[in-house]
This record gives sequence, structure tokens and C-alpha cells, in this order.
Amino acid sequence: MSRGVLTLSLILLWSAVSFPAWAAAPPTIPDAEVSLAHSLAAYRQTVRSGGPGKDGIPAIDRPHLESVAEADTWLEPGDRVIGLYRDGEARAYPQRILVWHEIVNDVVAGEPLSVTYCPLTGSALGFRRGDSTFGVSGRLVNSNLVMYDRATDSEWPQLLGVAISGPLAGRGLNAERLIWTTWGAWKARHPETRVLSRDTGYVRNYRRDPYGGYNPVSGYYRRDSRPLFPVMARDDRLSPKAMVLAFRDAGSAAAIRLPALREAGVLTLTLDERPYVILHDPELDTGWVYRNPEGRTIDHASLTFGPEGVRGPGIDALEPISAFQVMWFAWVAFQPGSMLIGEGEAP
Amino acid sequence: MIALARLLVALFSRPATLAILLGVAFGYALLFLWLAGDIAGGGQGGLHLAFPAWERAFESRGVLRFEPVGLIELGPWVWTFSPLDTLIALGIGLLLGSNLAGLWLVRQAPVACTIRAPSVGGLAALPALLAGGACCAPLVVIWLGLPIAGSLAVLAPWLIPLSCLALLVGLARLAAHYGHRASRPSGGGR
Repeated sequence: MSRGVLTLSLILLWSAVSFPAWAAAPPTIPDAEVSLAHSLAAYRQTVRSGGPGKDGIPAIDRPHLESVAEADTWLEPGDRVIGLYRDGEARAYPQRILVWHEIVNDVVAGEPLSVTYCPLTGSALGFRRGDSTFGVSGRLVNSNLVMYDRATDSEWPQLLGVAISGPLAGRGLNAERLIWTTWGAWKARHPETRVLSRDTGYVRNYRRDPYGGYNPVSGYYRRDSRPLFPVMARDDRLSPKAMVLAFRDAGSAAAIRLPALREAGVLTLTLDERPYVILHDPELDTGWVYRNPEGRTIDHASLTFGPEGVRGPGIDALEPISAFQVMWFAWVAFQPGSMLIGEGEAP
Repeated sequence: MIALARLLVALFSRPATLAILLGVAFGYALLFLWLAGDIAGGGQGGLHLAFPAWERAFESRGVLRFEPVGLIELGPWVWTFSPLDTLIALGIGLLLGSNLAGLWLVRQAPVACTIRAPSVGGLAALPALLAGGACCAPLVVIWLGLPIAGSLAVLAPWLIPLSCLALLVGLARLAAHYGHRASRPSGGGR
């Protein structure tokens, strides 16, 4: 009897201690909906130190924002920004700031979101974070940023969006579409956008990117330069740092070279007998990916691109899929055997 | 210990050795801070100073790497100034300067002194130059595009202590040699 009371007391005590953390855990999707090319154990074995310690690269937890006019004093039109639009609110996160911080824990249109950027893999992905925040673990998988959530301390490789260790291991985050584009293109599409300010609370040289530059492309970001860290899988169909538009859906994965998408305007493909359509956005120079269950034919000339994304005949019958731009070597390290559209090495 | 003190007194009391010591110390410190990423380009001319984050002076951002507290712009250069990073850079620089100045001093010994001076030299200071850098790799490795960052990251915590230890050992050997030479009768042979 007394042993039962003791056990019950311990369970209640454990619940009381851990409940606040679990209550604040980021919202996730169930394990069954997450499909991975490698086992969680394989990812865990591949994790390695990137050099800095936990939070050695400080996430921005209290972002300050500024106007387009203020940002114009220090951003060039060709500078890279990571754009986010949600329910009437637009944000631009300059790559020059994110290269030093990698994560911004923001609230956009009432939704707590983490905007994440990994300079080593050139990938920007957004995630819903609930009441939690994400930090930089200082560790890498396939050169990719491993985040941790501060509610449960689970570890999440950014390109997977799935926890590989900790209490949430195997669960996936809800992705939020980000746009990798230029400052000039973003402010033309969203003239009222707010911009992440250099007033981050930390002292960094925001005029300099330690890896090279995107305006013009140089240093580590050159298409033919080599990755710095070991990867789980290699694929020589493209140069290592060639940027692709990538998406995965129900266990299948595809990557599209932007030159091929630019030229075609509309691309269609089938993955595991499911049809998809990819639309080129000529102003932001990115792609919008949709499931196309009815096999609709989309005429690119009939489309318009505005703050909300793509509009036009047939679009309402499509189901949007989150996609992102990423360096080829990192994508195939996580998704070996990925379909590739546009293998030709056009610039 | 006495031998080391005697060597240091000798280094600081002679203008030539003092010049070598301080020149090497400041030169190395600047090189260290540049390769660590604390000093870089991006300045827009003139001199601008701002120190908005003194409260972060002791915040660590890696092993023996600390948060900058201010920004110093001088001409084309920008220095994200961390007091502790700067102290570490100067500390290693002084050790290296003492080694090189000490080596120069004992090499000035009379030809009759047959014991060779230990030549640890500047190599011991090299590992520390790989300790800093961009978030995930030393700048030299990034510039050269070498796929060895994974191996270096494992060693990173040990690079600065390794340099300091090697330089201290070198200095101790030089001090012993200097003490031995000083204790021999002038012009003494075998």
C-alpha cells in the first residue's frame, strides 16, 4: 500500500516538474506523418560539434523591426533577404544579420514563429514554435544547423524539421514558407514590409559575411566550392553548392534547378504516382509547389503574383506544399536519391 | 622559476629584446584577432566607437571565445571588441614574443658557449590561430575551402591551451639555457 502511494507521489511530482516544459513544447505533427531517409539513430551518430557551444551563436529572441526607408540606408537591392508573409504582415530578415544568429524567434500576425537560416547549407526554413523558442545547439548534421527547443531540449536538424533526440524524437515541426530572394524584389512585392533591425542586442560586424558573399556570389557560397564537414551521402549530379528548390511530401523528395523552372514557367512532375505542379514566380525568382490531385493544367501567362502568392485559374484546386531553397550537397545528404529536375549546369 | 625571472628581466631591460617582444606580441595579437574574425573589413572610413554591450563581456560563445562589447571602426577595418578575446590574443602574443626575443638573446651568446639554444620558435603559436573563426570553422579553412572543419572542430577546445603550454615549455627551456650560460665563467670552454 505504502509503495503504491510512494509511486503515485513520485509520478505526480514528476508531472508537476515536467508539465510546464511540455505545455510549452513546440506544436508537432505525429511520428506517422514524418518520413526520413535515414534512421534517427543514424542521424544522431552523424551529429558533430560545429565549434561554438550551445547558444554560442545567439538566436535573436527579441527582434527589433524597422521600416523600408530605414533598411534602405544599409541594404543594397541585390542583398539577400529571407521573406515571410502571413495574414497581411510581411517581414524581411536580412541574410547579413542571420548569418551571425541563424534563428529569430518572432511573432508574425499573432503566430509565434522561428525563422531559421543555416549559412553552411544555404537554407532558410520557418517553423511554428508555440510558446517555446529555438536556440542554436552548436552542432551540425550534414553541415546543417541543429536547433534545440528550449522547452524540452530536443534536437532538430533544420533541414529535417524532425527531432532526432530528446523527448520529442521522431516528431516533426509545422513548416512555414519562407522566401529566399533579394531585398529589391521583396520590397517591390511588399512595400510595407518590416525589416529585422541590426539592433539585435549583440555586437556583430553586420557588413561582413565570414563565409563570403551572395551579392555577388563568392567564397564558401560559390557553386563549385567544397563542403567543410562530412556528409551522410554524396551525389555528383550537380555542383555541391548549386542552389535547388526542394520539397518532400509523404516519403518522396524532389529538387528543381531554378534555371529550368525559370525557362519553363510551369513544371509538372509525379512522385509515387502523385502529381505536382511547380510555378515560377518571376518577381521573387522562386517557385511555388502544389499537389495537383486533379491533374489541372496551369497556364503561366494567366497567373498573377501578389502579396498572398499565386492567383489565377485553377490555383484554388491545388494544395500548397512547403518548399525551400538549399544547397544541393546538403539536400541529397538528407534525401539520397532525390528526384532532380534540370540537371544541366546552367548558371 | 628564478631562471625564468632572470630571463624576463633580461628581455625587458634590453631595448632590442623589448622591441622584438612587444613587436611580436602586438603583431601576433592582431593576426589572432583577424583570423578569429574579431577584426575584419567593412569599415566606412574615419574612426567610430560604440560600446553598447559591456554586460556581455564575460558571456562565452565557445571555448575561450567571448562576446564582443563594442564596435571600433578605423578606416576600412571593423573591430568587434571583446576585452577577454583581446587579453587572450595579447597573452599568447607575449608568450610568443618572449620565446622569439629569448631565442635571439641566447643566440647572441659568446661562440665559446657550446650548448645549443632550444629553437621552439613560433610554431607553437600556430594552433591557436585555428581556434577562432566563423561560427563553424576557422577562417583559414573557409578561405582555402578545406574539407577538414569536422576534424578541427573536435580539436578546437584544445588549440589555445596547446599553444600556451608549448610556448611556456619553450620559454622554460630558454630560461634554463640562459641561466646555465649566465652561471658559466665568462669565456669558459669545456
